Amino acid sequence: MKKNTNIIVVETSPLVIEGLSGIFNKSGLRCSLSFASTLELLEFLIPKNKAELVIINPSFFQNSPKAFNTIKNQLNQVKWIGLQYSYFDPKILYVFDALITISDTPESIIAIINKLLVDESPHLQNSSQDVLSERETDVLKLLATGMANKEIADKLNISTNTVITHRKNISQKTGIKSVSGLTIYAVVQKLVSIETLSD
Amino acid sequence: MYQRTNIYLSPDLKMSEIITNNHYILLLLEHFGIGLPLQDKSLNKVCEENNLNIELFLTFANLYNGLKYSPKAPLSYSNTPVIVNYLENSHKYYSEEIYPNILSTIKQMAEVNNHKEMSLVPKFFIDYFNEVTEHLDYENEVVFPYVLDLFEQVKNLKHTRRKIQYSVVEYKEHHNDIEEKLNDLKSLIIKYLPQKNDQSVRRKLLFLLSELEYDLNIHSKIEDLILIPLVAEMESHLNISK
Repeated sequence: MKKNTNIIVVETSPLVIEGLSGIFNKSGLRCSLSFASTLELLEFLIPKNKAELVIINPSFFQNSPKAFNTIKNQLNQVKWIGLQYSYFDPKILYVFDALITISDTPESIIAIINKLLVDESPHLQNSSQDVLSERETDVLKLLATGMANKEIADKLNISTNTVITHRKNISQKTGIKSVSGLTIYAVVQKLVSIETLSD
Repeated sequence: MYQRTNIYLSPDLKMSEIITNNHYILLLLEHFGIGLPLQDKSLNKVCEENNLNIELFLTFANLYNGLKYSPKAPLSYSNTPVIVNYLENSHKYYSEEIYPNILSTIKQMAEVNNHKEMSLVPKFFIDYFNEVTEHLDYENEVVFPYVLDLFEQVKNLKHTRRKIQYSVVEYKEHHNDIEEKLNDLKSLIIKYLPQKNDQSVRRKLLFLLSELEYDLNIHSKIEDLILIPLVAEMESHLNISK
């Protein structure tokens, strides 16, 4: 998973909020969490935070299923996970894309979320192959010889913005952000020879 | 981030216990100028003996234990000199101890592993070290004296207008750069640099880098989340505006 996922948790119990924060914190899942204590706040936060996933206790809407359905129908790109403390009518649970229960282990909670996010966007799986494309390699080679973005753009006949996009992807794939770090990477990968480096 | 069982810190816990739980707390104590041995003294007792505000200690110790900074009440400006002293001590640890240590370990690694690309690593680190030194000097020479000056003014309630000498935004970016190159180096060592005869020295290097990274991470949190808001508060108290 390369992309950051915005998740909203609708919950009022501090125990559960802290617990979930801890689990997410330790999971290594790339996400940012926000919390809402009411459906109104949720409705406000989803577009604001560009949320893709909502974790919600079904008791929030068991008395107002209509209000919930309205929210859900307006936002069909959002995935919904029910967080169960206790028994609920299966008819209510049917609306969720997945369910977690209060007794689940951290690992299984994260696995459920991961599965949901990966199903949603299969293209993300491809991007986790950390191989540089041909164009990215071209950019990296020039970068390693000390060229600035503008010079690289001129040389490759592309815009400076495209160079910047390539650089972002290179950094994401290699885990290296600085030019000096990328230069060493380029040498190790035999993309440039150590003799051609500027100094 | 370093993962440990989080213990809930309370003033009557033994200091030795919380170090056993997370040995990085030792760095925290050193930066506060507190040494070993600690016998069976409680956090409260150790703080008292060292004239350290227990709330301040708990706040920093919780950061070291990986908890989010969520103060019940903001720290009082009266802690400013202690915080600045803490930061200065950690600078000393960076520039006189851990960075030189890392540099010599990198040189050692480049010596036993004579792949020619290894020769680039000491240069990378020396350049980086220079950048860091520049940042630390800037804080030591410009930021900290300014903060202490503010503190004196607030304490004595001298309402003199001064110019702000640095920008908080710029300040935060420095920190990102410092942590970014450290990360790059770790990636290179773990993922890419060819290995040859250097297994133990490379591991030693990684451990040192992780130690530095751990402390730096908390250091920037202290500056960004605690010091900068205190400065802003003192500035507004003195009616200094940009």
